[in-house]
Amino acid sequence: MFSLLNIRVGWFLAWRQIRRSSVWTTSLIIFVMLLTFLNLVVVTGILVGLVQGITDLYRLQETGDVIVSTLDTKNYIEQSPQIISFIQTLPQVEHVTARYIVNGSIEANYKTRTDPNEKPNESGAAIVGIDPVAENAFSGIARNVEEGSFLAPGDFDSVVVGSQLIAKYSFGEIPGIRPLKNVGPGSVVRITVNGQTREVVIKGILIDKANSPLSSQVFMSAAQLRTLAGRDDYSVNQVAIRLKKGVDEVAFKDLLVRSGVGRFAKVQTFEQAIPNGVEDVKNTFAVLGNAISSVGLVVASITIFIVIFINALTRRKFIGILKGIGISPQAIEVAYLLQSMFYALVGSSIGLIILFGFLVPYISAHPINLPISNTVLVAPVGETLLRVVLLVLATLIAGYIPARMIVKKNTLDSILGRN
Amino acid sequence: MAALIETKKLVKAYKSGDGVSTILKGIDFSVERGEFVSIMGRSGAGKSTLMYQMSLLDEPTSGDISIDGTNTRHMSEKEKAAFRLRKFGFVFQDYALMPELTATENIVLPLLMESYTFTQAQAMAADALTRVGLGHRLHNVPSQLSGGEQQRVSIARAIAEQPEILFADEPTANLDRESAKVVIDLFLELHAHGQTIIMVTHEEEYGHVADRIIRLDEGSIVSIEKGVRHAHARKQPTKKQSKK
Ligand SMILES: Nc1ncnc2c1ncn2[C@@H]1O[C@H](COP(=O)(O)OP(=O)(O)OP(=O)(O)O)[C@@H](O)[C@H]1O
Ligand SMILES: [Mg+2]
Repeated sequence: MFSLLNIRVGWFLAWRQIRRSSVWTTSLIIFVMLLTFLNLVVVTGILVGLVQGITDLYRLQETGDVIVSTLDTKNYIEQSPQIISFIQTLPQVEHVTARYIVNGSIEANYKTRTDPNEKPNESGAAIVGIDPVAENAFSGIARNVEEGSFLAPGDFDSVVVGSQLIAKYSFGEIPGIRPLKNVGPGSVVRITVNGQTREVVIKGILIDKANSPLSSQVFMSAAQLRTLAGRDDYSVNQVAIRLKKGVDEVAFKDLLVRSGVGRFAKVQTFEQAIPNGVEDVKNTFAVLGNAISSVGLVVASITIFIVIFINALTRRKFIGILKGIGISPQAIEVAYLLQSMFYALVGSSIGLIILFGFLVPYISAHPINLPISNTVLVAPVGETLLRVVLLVLATLIAGYIPARMIVKKNTLDSILGRN
Repeated sequence: MAALIETKKLVKAYKSGDGVSTILKGIDFSVERGEFVSIMGRSGAGKSTLMYQMSLLDEPTSGDISIDGTNTRHMSEKEKAAFRLRKFGFVFQDYALMPELTATENIVLPLLMESYTFTQAQAMAADALTRVGLGHRLHNVPSQLSGGEQQRVSIARAIAEQPEILFADEPTANLDRESAKVVIDLFLELHAHGQTIIMVTHEEEYGHVADRIIRLDEGSIVSIEKGVRHAHARKQPTKKQSKK
């Protein structure tokens, strides 16, 4: 249908039409294409990035690359000391942190409570016992302490509390968590674990995203939690491992399982350990993003349709003359197809440059600080190029239809301006 | 010798309202190779309509048109387009140049369609523009040219590939006297080199420079006259046939 000859003649015509048309009109059309492209990529990219940010946070603060945790049938990891020291000897490992985790509660303002019927200012919380140095090396948790300071080795009767447990930072009550009022660094609170209660001082407050694993936990030294929980056998609940750069976490996980750790504990990569819902949310957002940005695609198609339609309509007489002197209709159609393609390709190319030259690196260096996560822009190259193809296809169709409508009109009628 | 173009009982009718209006009522005439024929008549006589039929831009209601001995009645639109591209040159009343293309490019375009290389086409275009006296206007777009110059570009486009027949519908109607004269002189010069020309005009002055003048009225030929040049014995073109 579109022979080489037609493409050649169409190209000759198209290129000159583009070159000699108004710079402003051309820029405007290309701008629409650019916005459409960015809309196609960025909306989905940010929505997916939002979830990616949550995942990244879990990986940084909780799971590491591989996490060893309590079997579903047990209360703690048996053989913990042996497992930890085995892991520490492995060359792939960068950091290891072991955590004791027990459910407990934290209560504030009990001294000023005068009315015994008043509801105590108390919240359930995961009480986590850590080695402050190892934990900080693992996740840089100390950086999240924005009020007060982080635990030091040997600190006793001190805790660091996540921001969702503190009224002035929390989003409000959520099931299981009732934020503490009027507390800050230096406040005395009561921690209750396994029926054992102890008065401790809040040393610092951890501030992070609402869904950060840190934000609803209470951290104290492992030694104190061991005594408080009566855990005198050094059996921990979690061992989180950060691997050296380039080490494959799946292979490492398999190695741990094969070396017998799997008998005493659950060994998972971060991807497996992150709550199932997160992946579902990510996929949902991807679909949602595509749905939203396909509206943009329709708008771009309509833009191109109108541009080409008006161009062809105002040139109907010339198109008639060209057909009259023997230029094939297909060549004229090709000219319009190439113009549409030009707009889409230039728009996408500028978009690709902005995306990979600026947006992705910049946002990855400075994630967008949204309440639920530090959002990055996820734009896999393959999917992005697929969107370029999609945009080009849509504009080709949108440009072809009006061109065809005008070109197929009777030649003489077009020349004479008759209907 | 067979005529270059010949019409037989050519009828063109349009449906109008509930009736049919017949614009061409059985035209029989022929044009010899190398001849310069003008078609004249009142407005509405059917001059343009006749030219559209002969140049295969339109489909006659009945009758035959033979070009170079080939009956065109059963040709497909594609074949007709090829005919128009290769054998005909067109000059329209309002120049009809693509506004985005320079003078040269307007001429190059149909040549590319004929598979000439870009370089060949450019050389041919420059040559044709020089022949119409626009050697200094090769790279101007139509909006930078006067009406007369634009019409000369369109003549250059028509003749760049030495068509068998040059069709011109009122080529001087939009031009001032001086530019019109330039166009007519160009036609005469082309004709002197053997170009077959069929020109529609309602201006007696220009119509009479042709070898023959076909007068139409209400869709019929009312007279065929010899042109004035044949009174003053002008130099006869070598290939020209003047049988009548
Ligand atoms: N598509 C059409 N439908 C109906 N009638 C038409 C159509 N095209 C032309 N006519 C009629 O045919 C007649 C001849 O038209 P044509 O254009 O051939 O005249 P002309 O001799 O070229 O006149 P002019 O000198 O004004 O250009 C006119 O009466 C015109 O109204
Ligand atoms: Mg006319």
